[in-house]
Amino acid sequence: MRGDVSEIKGLKGEHLRVRYDPHQPFVIDGETMRAPHGRISALIGPNGSGKSTLLKALARQLPCELGNIVLDGRDIASYPSFELARKLGILFQERRAPADLTVEELLRHGRYPHRRLFESFQPEDDAAVESALRMAGIENLRHALLGQLSGGQKQLAWIAMAVAQSPHYLLLDEPTTFLDIAHQFDVMDLLVRLNRELGMTVVLVVHDLNLAARYADYIFALSAGKLVAAGAPEKVLNEDLLRSVFEVEARIVRDDVRGAPFCVPVKRAKAAKEPAQARSLEGETFSARGERLIRFSARTSSAG
Amino acid sequence: MAIPKARGQALAWVLGGSLAIIAVAAMTQISAGSYGMTYRQAWAALTDPGIWRQPAALLRLLLGESFARAHKLPEAQPLATATLIVWNVRIPRVLVGLLVGTNLAFSGSILQAITRNELASPYLLGVSSGAGLAVLILMVFFPAWMGFVPLAAIAGGGLAFLTVYAIAWKRGASSVRLVLAGVIVGAIAGSLHTAIFFYARDVNTFQNALAWTAGSLTGADWRQVRLVAPWTLLSAILAFAGARSLDLLLLGDGPARALGMSVDRARFLLSAVAIMAAGSSVAVAGLIGFVGLIVPHVVRSLVGSSHRLLLMGCLFAGPALLVSADTFARLILNPTQLPVGIVTGLLGGVFFLFLMRKRLEFGRP
Repeated sequence: MRGDVSEIKGLKGEHLRVRYDPHQPFVIDGETMRAPHGRISALIGPNGSGKSTLLKALARQLPCELGNIVLDGRDIASYPSFELARKLGILFQERRAPADLTVEELLRHGRYPHRRLFESFQPEDDAAVESALRMAGIENLRHALLGQLSGGQKQLAWIAMAVAQSPHYLLLDEPTTFLDIAHQFDVMDLLVRLNRELGMTVVLVVHDLNLAARYADYIFALSAGKLVAAGAPEKVLNEDLLRSVFEVEARIVRDDVRGAPFCVPVKRAKAAKEPAQARSLEGETFSARGERLIRFSARTSSAG
Repeated sequence: MAIPKARGQALAWVLGGSLAIIAVAAMTQISAGSYGMTYRQAWAALTDPGIWRQPAALLRLLLGESFARAHKLPEAQPLATATLIVWNVRIPRVLVGLLVGTNLAFSGSILQAITRNELASPYLLGVSSGAGLAVLILMVFFPAWMGFVPLAAIAGGGLAFLTVYAIAWKRGASSVRLVLAGVIVGAIAGSLHTAIFFYARDVNTFQNALAWTAGSLTGADWRQVRLVAPWTLLSAILAFAGARSLDLLLLGDGPARALGMSVDRARFLLSAVAIMAAGSSVAVAGLIGFVGLIVPHVVRSLVGSSHRLLLMGCLFAGPALLVSADTFARLILNPTQLPVGIVTGLLGGVFFLFLMRKRLEFGRP
């Protein structure tokens, strides 16, 4: 498949080891993952499994002690920061904005990496802001102050800011957490539109497994800094995984709206004698067309 | 540019109001005092053709006698007494007030943005005290080096700021820790200030040092204007150049970095600009507190937190506050002159109380 576009394009982390403090164990421990190009991928896992850390590392927002990240065939470390920001946007959970900023002003900040020091706002900057407002369906909120918005509207405004940045890759850390169901739909539908209409590769960390199953093309499951499963939702989401990774007994059914797997938690599973990640998991996942999506290995010992 | 209309209007009001205050305060400052004049006489002195028709006279004032001698400027015709007083004493004092007011307001705006802390100001973060310590050391121990006083003040302010950050740093520096660290460094510098007084060689130096510590424009002349003006110009240009980065910093470090900004470098360079502005004003006017806190706050509440507008407002409101406070300080207890720092300190104390109550009421994150 040499020379195939899908081999050059894409976001791939190889043998990543990340930690916040040199005296602490690694939060991400030697993992390799490749976010399928032009698709929506979801990172799932229990609290503290390293989902957000992996996401930030992939966006060069955290230094990796070991391993390298390849973005469109180039080592991510070699990108000047503006060039990286034009290619890849990431939306954090923790952020703040002055309450007196209007939605439009927030979106205009998204054009920062496209402008030089004293360069004024160009027509293409305006066009990008307009199209992001339209995409997110918040044109009517253009002049609203951020302090007046509901949590869901605020989230849409922030995603729209990242869209105005016009990246090819959009990474999001728990974009639906704390939102009501209607706004969860708004956010996920927006991500699908970005993916289908603009061809953005979307990677998101999400807690709601059913949301992940319904919207994501691929799911990566993390447990204690290890990638323990990866692939299409129907392959990854099964009762074993829920028991070993999430420590719940659950039944997987098919939702009869989209046919996606739907997990019905039953009760908390008894803590496994051996931690889930101690099982040796090694293998590769293939897409329906047979291309190799990910190769993962987990030869871990339990934490000690 | 898409400035919301209401904010454009608010900015226009800030500019207009500030200009009016500056005009009234400056005319009062120029006409009143021990050599009293009517506004008409003051205006006549201000527009004296003896100054404006003689480039040599104007240049001598602006650039100083030593420059005039070195470049063999022609001798100027002798001037009327009123003109001499207005042009040698009162105008430079107003100008130093304008420049120092700008510096302090800009320094406060920048520090508030880069620490994301509405309580930040050069005074509260120890920058002023550090700069002041450097100036006092120069004044008392190395009086021959007083020409370098802005540089020394900027270095001292920078050192104090680094110390404050080092004390406050614990995986990021929270608002409260920064202010506490600023108070600590300010207290240490303050006691060193007092200690240095005991080494003053003569009463004159002692009195100078004391007045200067309280923050005073008394005796400011063209030399002070020349000392501070280049720094004001430089720091104002750099602040406007950094306006977009300041806006981005308000979004949080993560989002700013995600937009391609080198957050640490930007914060370092912008704090250097803030220290430059504050240090150079300490060098010529001493420790004038709270201007850097009040002005950005008031302007922000009117024009919003976008820094292009905020800095523009500060460019006018800062001078307006300082020049009017100085006029008040000079004339209220005539013939005794209060240091302007006492007036701004009183004003600032009340304002600080108001801020604390407001923060309790609107505990917005």
